[in-house]
Amino acid sequence: MFVVDDDEGVRNSLRFLLKSVGLTTQTLSSASEFLDTYKPSQPGCLVLDVRMPGMSGLELQEQLNVRGAVIPVIFITGHGDIPMAVEAMQQGAFDFLQKPFRDQELIDRIQRALELDGRNRAALDQHARIRERLDSLTPREREVLALMTRGQPNKIMAAELGVSQRTVEIHRARVMEKSGAASLAQLVRMVMDLEADRTGH
Amino acid sequence: MPKSIAEAAVPGLDPLAALHGRLLNVSRMATIGEMAAGVAHELNQPLTAIANYAHACERLLGRPGVDPDEVREALRQIAAQTTRAADIIRRLRAVAHSQQAEHLPVGINSLVEELQELMRTDASLHGVDLTLDLAPALPEVAADPGQIQQVILNFLRNSLEALGTHPTGTPRVAVSTSLVDGNAVRLMVCDNGPGLAPDIVKRVFDPFFSTKENGTGLGLAISSTIARAHGGTVGYRANVPCGACFYIVVPAQSHE
Repeated sequence: MFVVDDDEGVRNSLRFLLKSVGLTTQTLSSASEFLDTYKPSQPGCLVLDVRMPGMSGLELQEQLNVRGAVIPVIFITGHGDIPMAVEAMQQGAFDFLQKPFRDQELIDRIQRALELDGRNRAALDQHARIRERLDSLTPREREVLALMTRGQPNKIMAAELGVSQRTVEIHRARVMEKSGAASLAQLVRMVMDLEADRTGH
Repeated sequence: MPKSIAEAAVPGLDPLAALHGRLLNVSRMATIGEMAAGVAHELNQPLTAIANYAHACERLLGRPGVDPDEVREALRQIAAQTTRAADIIRRLRAVAHSQQAEHLPVGINSLVEELQELMRTDASLHGVDLTLDLAPALPEVAADPGQIQQVILNFLRNSLEALGTHPTGTPRVAVSTSLVDGNAVRLMVCDNGPGLAPDIVKRVFDPFFSTKENGTGLGLAISSTIARAHGGTVGYRANVPCGACFYIVVPAQSHE
């Protein structure tokens, strides 16, 4: 858990509250301090004050987006910061809360954000594994993979690649083996997931 | 001058002086109104902290084997945050406190220092870096402390609002005091915002002239009136390399 708020009183009280429900929290007083210490590979959830001197919460969110960090961000805003909160949501914030908030509201959101982070990271890990496997394909196998995902039968593939059907069958078997896919449907799904990843969902 | 305002004024006072006094009061309240949003935000911080500690205590106490020291620490923090909230309100009240115009011997630096917390809060809410540069050993001036502080706050407001439209760089405001010609004291508020367009400079102290969408056009006009009432002047000059400087010069108290 990370809390970034320039107000010492708010910061410490949040750490205390979260500790009372068993969450260990790292608190930081500025957006730049967070950027200096945080590594995108660290799992968790970020509770972030919108309005801070220096780099604002919105600017920090932008920086995190640029760095490809997937950590869910829950914004906490003061009175009258609603337009900023809306902007934060549009930029992909997980949620926002207006100060002062009910503890249960915050804790529920944090639990949901942590679950989301877990799922996102599991998906990313899986994608990384799939990408690694597909990267091990030879250029010819990759051509076969492209035709397979388009649903081309072996006969057409053989004609298109100028090889025998037998050769196509051997390539197909290697693609299935290297990708670890249990079926053609699963293989297609893997490739689509990676495509979606590359184009930013 | 409309008769009704003169009649509504305090009986036995010169109608013009009474109107002047009322205008100052209106402008003081307007300044407070503008500051209210900032104060509301500022009060929210200790309130949030208090709520968090109280909720945490409730959770801790609902559990077997609670550590009393932990609860005690939270209660101490609640008390500290309450004091903090009370301080914020006290500072606002100090500005809101309506005083009759009364010229007392005061040090201009101490007027700035009294406002320091309030100005820092306001500046930090606008993401602005505030620095004070107060000349030592300045002579005292005969002044109404509340009115001079109002001028300072008016200048600061203008700078903060101008900096809100400033696209690049770290927004800064510097409040400085200095001795002028050995017999007057100058207080100046400088920012690194866009500054004033040349055609605006001449009109900026005119009543009801404003370039702000919701401006009353009274802040600088009232500041000018206050300066004159103190035998002083207000002025503008462009900051270097960019931005605006507004200043008030008040004669030092003569030692007879």
